[in-house]
Amino acid sequence: MIFIERVFVLKTPTMRLKRFLLRYFPPGIALEYIQGGKTKTKMLGLSSLSTRTNVNELAATIAADEPLVTPSVVPQLVESLCKLQTKLSDASNHWFHNSKTLKTHLLPLTNVAFDKQGKRCLTGSYDRTCKVWDTDSGKELCTLKGHKNVVYAVTFNSPFDDKILTGSFDKTACLWSAETGECYSTLWGHTAEVVAVQFNLQCHLVGTSSMDSTAKLFNIATGQEVATLHGHTGEVIALKFSDDGNQIITGSFDHSIGVWDTRTAKRVGILNGHLQEISNCLFNHDGSLIASSSMDKTAKVWDQRTFSSLATITGHNDEVLDIAFDYKGHQLATASTDATACIWDVHSDFKLLAKMKGHKEEVSKVCFSPAGARLLTASLDRTARLWNADTGNCIQILDGHTDDVFSCAFSYNGDIIITASKDNTCKIWR
Amino acid sequence: MVQTIAVDLKKSHIIGDLQSPKMNFTIEMALNDQGRKGNGLLSILRKLKSQPDKELRLLLLGLDNAGKTTLLKKLASEDITHITPTQGFNIKSVQSEGFKLNVWDIGGQRKIRPYWRNYFENTDVLIYVIDSADRKRLEETGHELEELLMEDKLANVPLLVYANKQDLLHAAPASDIAEGLGLHTIKDRPWQIQACSATAGEGVKDGMEWVCKNIKKK
Repeated sequence: MIFIERVFVLKTPTMRLKRFLLRYFPPGIALEYIQGGKTKTKMLGLSSLSTRTNVNELAATIAADEPLVTPSVVPQLVESLCKLQTKLSDASNHWFHNSKTLKTHLLPLTNVAFDKQGKRCLTGSYDRTCKVWDTDSGKELCTLKGHKNVVYAVTFNSPFDDKILTGSFDKTACLWSAETGECYSTLWGHTAEVVAVQFNLQCHLVGTSSMDSTAKLFNIATGQEVATLHGHTGEVIALKFSDDGNQIITGSFDHSIGVWDTRTAKRVGILNGHLQEISNCLFNHDGSLIASSSMDKTAKVWDQRTFSSLATITGHNDEVLDIAFDYKGHQLATASTDATACIWDVHSDFKLLAKMKGHKEEVSKVCFSPAGARLLTASLDRTARLWNADTGNCIQILDGHTDDVFSCAFSYNGDIIITASKDNTCKIWR
Repeated sequence: MVQTIAVDLKKSHIIGDLQSPKMNFTIEMALNDQGRKGNGLLSILRKLKSQPDKELRLLLLGLDNAGKTTLLKKLASEDITHITPTQGFNIKSVQSEGFKLNVWDIGGQRKIRPYWRNYFENTDVLIYVIDSADRKRLEETGHELEELLMEDKLANVPLLVYANKQDLLHAAPASDIAEGLGLHTIKDRPWQIQACSATAGEGVKDGMEWVCKNIKKK
């Protein structure tokens, strides 16, 4: 995920370096500079940065290696590194309070999503609309109307967050303005329910997947279909772009995961090995690993280049319903019908690192806090829980919902949590 | 297994939605979702997968006091002793002959009739219920049916007419009603008239069998 924050502008006109752009997770600094009249950026990955890193030494190393970083900007570089470090410290002792309860829709809710800053969230519903909410005030900002059936999938085009994409059981997806709620275009072509949608990070393509066993790519600017990804023999229920936008993976009820090149729209790989329906599939941040979860009670980790299975995770006694990578891509969390969530080391030996026990019923959703120190789970037992990702101890039980909690998410800063329930409310926790 | 949702039109938010011409609730899927094993939202998708084409949407219309709600409750084998005029709509899903019938019972009072059109889309079978004993209003009911049959969104939708309340002494026989409504002139769709008594439960099943047979032919 390339999430960038502007920090400051260097005003010296002779300087070719224009400014630093910070990426919190995984930590990185983009150098924006001017060369031959053109603005360019260069990314410095700092995934090894930790709270214990000596930032002065690191800044000196960067300055020595990187000609753009001249001695005069080193203090600012140090300042930026400190800022990144603060983000990593992850206030794990923070106690969340239910700050707002959104009484969202009259009819059941489906999926929910945050924008990058956590200022707005989206709720999809059986009432055929998607609503945009202000998470500070708890007020509805607008209602996206136009779908002729259940709105199932909802997403922002993070990090820009000026567009919204919805997928509906009416067989279409719609692209909306996040500011005005105006519908830019309706994406036609699927012959059954659209159940997963995503923007690529570069924000020129969207991917949609459907119960019609295909996925499609659409051009955002024109709303025209770019390609149909044929090959699955069962419903395609999960779809994810790689961060560079060149690949897309699709998880299907036909028990396989397809890997596709978005430039040629050809299937470049097929991941076979699961014995039952796929429930989710993911890339890690750098795109080197693919993880998948299945109703066959396992999760699998695959090599993105060879399409071979690196490991099968068999620690659950029942269906694995959801998976999540931490930002480094070193750990994988799994959520299962057996009422537990687990964290696995996917960096070296695929060992179990922590098992989260406490939910009384199945865990249907799992995600890491952005900095990776905490795990958030949503369960049918009407609670969401926060766990220490190292020890597996429960830090906090987020209760108050009166029915199944089926979705949960952290905001990008990690300071806001949203939970969505079958009781038709969303709760915002701070 | 019977699932029910009843919505009262008097609640202002519902009225707001109904007035929007694009608003056409599909609660069928929500109904499916209840009584599930779990799996969060995934269960919705698994449910979608497991029931591909076997769901039908039946629209139950007719004048007020024709017996639509009684018929609906009878179909669902529910108690029919306390039925009041329907202010909004009732939806039930009933299993019959391998089909899942989602029956939409919309209130028949004059002031509610303008809302009927909100429910026309995606209808598989139109069921029109008539109070056979209310001879004074046969003309009115015939007029409403005529209007319905002219609706674009209901074009070619099979029509089942229940000549209800046959248990009452002065009820007109189904053949008279068919003639009175001019059913024989309908050429653009399959149709059937079925004499029944919703309170006694007679004839109701026969009508539903016709519905299922007609769908199989499609």
